[in-house]
Amino acid sequence: MMKVWVVYPLRVAFASVPAALIVSALAITFLPPSVSFWVSGAVSAFSAFLFVAYAWGRHAGGLLVAPAIALLFCMNIFPLLWSFGLSFFHYRANRLAPPRFAGLHYYEKVLSDPVVWDRLQVTAKMVVLTVSLQMVIGFLLAMLFAKQFPLRRVLLILVLTPMMLSFVAVGAFFRYYYEPTFGLVSQAVRVFTGEPYVLLQSAAGATAGIVFADAWMWSPFVMLLVLAGLVSVPKYLYEAASIDRISHWRRFWSITFPYVRSLLMLALLFRTIEAFKLFDVVFLLTEGGPGTSTETIAVYVYRVSFQYFKTSESAALAYILLFTVIVLTNLYLYFANKRNRT
Amino acid sequence: MSTIEATSLTKNFGSFTAVRDVDLSVGQGEVVCLLGPSGCGKTTTLRMIAGLESVTEGEVRIGGKLMNKISPEKRDIAMVFQFYALYPSVSIGGNIEMPLFRAGLSAAERRREVARVAGILQLDDVLDRLPGQVSEGEKQRAAVARAIVRDPNCFLFDEPLSRLDVELRHSMRGQIKEVLSGLSKATVIVTHDQLEALTMANRIAIMRDGMIEQIGTPHEVFSKPRNIFVAGFIGSPKMNLFEGRFSSLSGDMATIELSAERVTIPVPSAVSNMQGETLTLGVRPRALEPVDSPNQHSLTGQVELIEPMGAETLVHVRDESDQDLRVVVPRHIKVIIGEVLHLACDLSQTHIFDGKGLAVR
Amino acid sequence: MADTEKKSLADRLGLKVHSGVGNAGWGRTLFAGVISFVYFFPVLWIILTAFKTHNDALAIPPKFIFTPTLENFVSVFSRAYSAGAVAQDTGFALYFFNSVFIAGTSVFLALAIGTLAAFGFSRYPLRGNDTYLFIILTTRMLPAIVVIIPIFLMFRVAGLSGTYIGVILLYTAFNLPFTVWMMKSFFDELSPDVEDAARIDGSSDRRVFFKICLPQVKAGLAATAVFGLILTWNEFLFALLLTGVDTRTVPVAMAQTIGGDIGVRWGLLAAIETLFLIPVIVVTFILQNHLLRGVTFGTVKR
Repeated sequence: MMKVWVVYPLRVAFASVPAALIVSALAITFLPPSVSFWVSGAVSAFSAFLFVAYAWGRHAGGLLVAPAIALLFCMNIFPLLWSFGLSFFHYRANRLAPPRFAGLHYYEKVLSDPVVWDRLQVTAKMVVLTVSLQMVIGFLLAMLFAKQFPLRRVLLILVLTPMMLSFVAVGAFFRYYYEPTFGLVSQAVRVFTGEPYVLLQSAAGATAGIVFADAWMWSPFVMLLVLAGLVSVPKYLYEAASIDRISHWRRFWSITFPYVRSLLMLALLFRTIEAFKLFDVVFLLTEGGPGTSTETIAVYVYRVSFQYFKTSESAALAYILLFTVIVLTNLYLYFANKRNRT
Repeated sequence: MSTIEATSLTKNFGSFTAVRDVDLSVGQGEVVCLLGPSGCGKTTTLRMIAGLESVTEGEVRIGGKLMNKISPEKRDIAMVFQFYALYPSVSIGGNIEMPLFRAGLSAAERRREVARVAGILQLDDVLDRLPGQVSEGEKQRAAVARAIVRDPNCFLFDEPLSRLDVELRHSMRGQIKEVLSGLSKATVIVTHDQLEALTMANRIAIMRDGMIEQIGTPHEVFSKPRNIFVAGFIGSPKMNLFEGRFSSLSGDMATIELSAERVTIPVPSAVSNMQGETLTLGVRPRALEPVDSPNQHSLTGQVELIEPMGAETLVHVRDESDQDLRVVVPRHIKVIIGEVLHLACDLSQTHIFDGKGLAVR
Repeated sequence: MADTEKKSLADRLGLKVHSGVGNAGWGRTLFAGVISFVYFFPVLWIILTAFKTHNDALAIPPKFIFTPTLENFVSVFSRAYSAGAVAQDTGFALYFFNSVFIAGTSVFLALAIGTLAAFGFSRYPLRGNDTYLFIILTTRMLPAIVVIIPIFLMFRVAGLSGTYIGVILLYTAFNLPFTVWMMKSFFDELSPDVEDAARIDGSSDRRVFFKICLPQVKAGLAATAVFGLILTWNEFLFALLLTGVDTRTVPVAMAQTIGGDIGVRWGLLAAIETLFLIPVIVVTFILQNHLLRGVTFGTVKR
């Protein structure tokens, strides 16, 4: 072994890949699942290790990425491929019946299902509302913090905190604030109307409640990016502007805004991707209600797969989401790279 | 009327005094250079005149009007910044156009003005490009164009040529001088390059540690430096400075004992009452000349290093007291390392400074 | 000094934002203070509620002044489930331990593997690297729900559901994309001159990595680790579906406290949240300078 390693190091590493695949296949076929999982895991880890060992010795550091790729393959890519496969079969995770081939049945079903389109509309509405609210509030907050003033850093932390909190905690907060009898919102309304106010009762109220909570949580994100743009404007440009007697309006659009534009674009895409996945806050605040008026696509997929256990259908649905996110991520990276180059 | 006046201008940053008691007045059509090593307060002075820095004490007047509390917008000035400060997302033409918006001109008039200055500074071809897409020299010209497009009270330049390479700097120097001479405005230029100051300015103010050491025409500061600092700062290669003691006077010729030898040179009559005091003798490298045999006006030393400079040769000579002497000799005079040279002073070009470093005249 | 300018209210409050230059002074502090307070209020109110008795928490109108009590914090860990019964262990000590243990281990693993990969991506620009990086980022950008269906099935088959190993492996994979992108952004910033010099002096790649590159990105490593900890600490959906009774993390336990049939004990919930939030707030304060890079996965550095 030692000698082979010295003479053909890279070939050994490469040879370990098909070997690992064969061993895994054999293990999956002949051993019980709980054992074969570990066997497959061990051989793929060994294979990744061989690449790293090779890379350390020579100038082939590119192979250092092998363990990361291997782990992601096992924990993300492989499951995704598996569920991609499942989307072509009739299968329910809570039944013992073996999968039966279904072809494109589930894709047809999902794409022609009015319920799916309705959930997509709900999601789109949420995305548009929450992202635009975040952009506006975030921008205003950034303008507020763009200048130096005493205690700025401390106050900045107060505003930035919501972004770092857990969705569950935020959901729990707002459930408390929206609570009909003693919630702060209800009490504030009662001062004027004399009646307790149940925000989450109406579709519009529930949407507003979710959008408000999400925008509260993520406006600081937009602020952080816009602020980075605002403070990156060289001071001498403003000095030149004051000597050239440029109006404040023109000053903002021709000097300040170009520095913020690319970051604003990144914030918009990033927040759109995230808002598209909106799950936790909805799940904790309204569980999609009242009715299904706030049931976003992510919540719907959750219901289909873990409450109705229509595994194949949810897999097909998931792939449609996946495609959307890939497109958005691609756009995001395109803008991020463009910005980093200039 | 286009004038700038600063009276006992002082600027403190916390406990640090950046500018101390600066008096400066620039008349109509006059170009004054603030010259000094980095950190001497010249840029701060300029920024106080522009209104970008508040004034701690003293007064700034532009066109006779007190400007201390007036914002830069209302001072009616034009300035060229060290990094040009071109607005990066606006085209060169748009940059030049910027100062015109407040003037209430129509779009056609603005275009005509831009075209006019673009013609003066040869920017016609690049008006549509962004600042990032033009050369360093074009950026510099665009910054100048933006300053002269309007008719301001005065012009301020902050190290305008420091980012250009040697050749461009040379041609821009001439170009700026030409443009300025056609405008007849009070102009202040900040620079650390003495050649720039000597060529462009009507008067030069030499600054050190926040104070003006001397202010005068380029000829004055070169030929009659007020103190040792100015003497050493102006002129390249640097003036040779020798510490010595004044021993005797006969007529207008004084004998000065340097550490290793003595020289006899003509001195101004004010030196006569300095008998026995220490003083500093200054001789410019071009005022020394190799002679065949030592005489009473000459210094002696050994050639240590030779730096050809093209038309002339800079020779470093080490004298008997181990002091480095810089001498510039014409190209045709051949010297070799190790050779002993006798250097006669040009008697009309010597400077005497007293124990406090001030010139004795 | 006749030219004293009249200042507008906006000027005095330091609200003129256009120029973005210089110090806006205490006027701005006052204004920003009010805004920040309003913004932070939901968090502050929860923290206050945690110190209220049950009756105070449900008081109408809301009580701003009350006698603080630690009762809620005690009953997070041990309380009686019905009136008159003996106080029992609620398991929250275990859930907090789980949160810390799972987050800690998986972040450590992700950091080890991810830093290696980030160094590889940053220093050996091979063909196809961009594709790999894109795939890595995409796996992170995916809606969790998409990934979780097959992982759920896989874990069930492998007997990993509800075990520490399963959850830790999952979170390692969850943290890996973030770690790779973050660390790559730090490695990309290092000047290659020092490394080249070390290579010319005959240092091996391993030595260059450990002795030259790693020490320079120490701060980056720390920031990445802390960010990973927060992300894992806050994660809900994976934990909801893949942790068992013994490996449950705080967010799941918290969500279950809300979902109870009888009236929610808000004071108690607020106490749980407070305990859960404090580390995050402290860490946000420490991370301040790396926050921008962290929340954008290293794609925006400044």
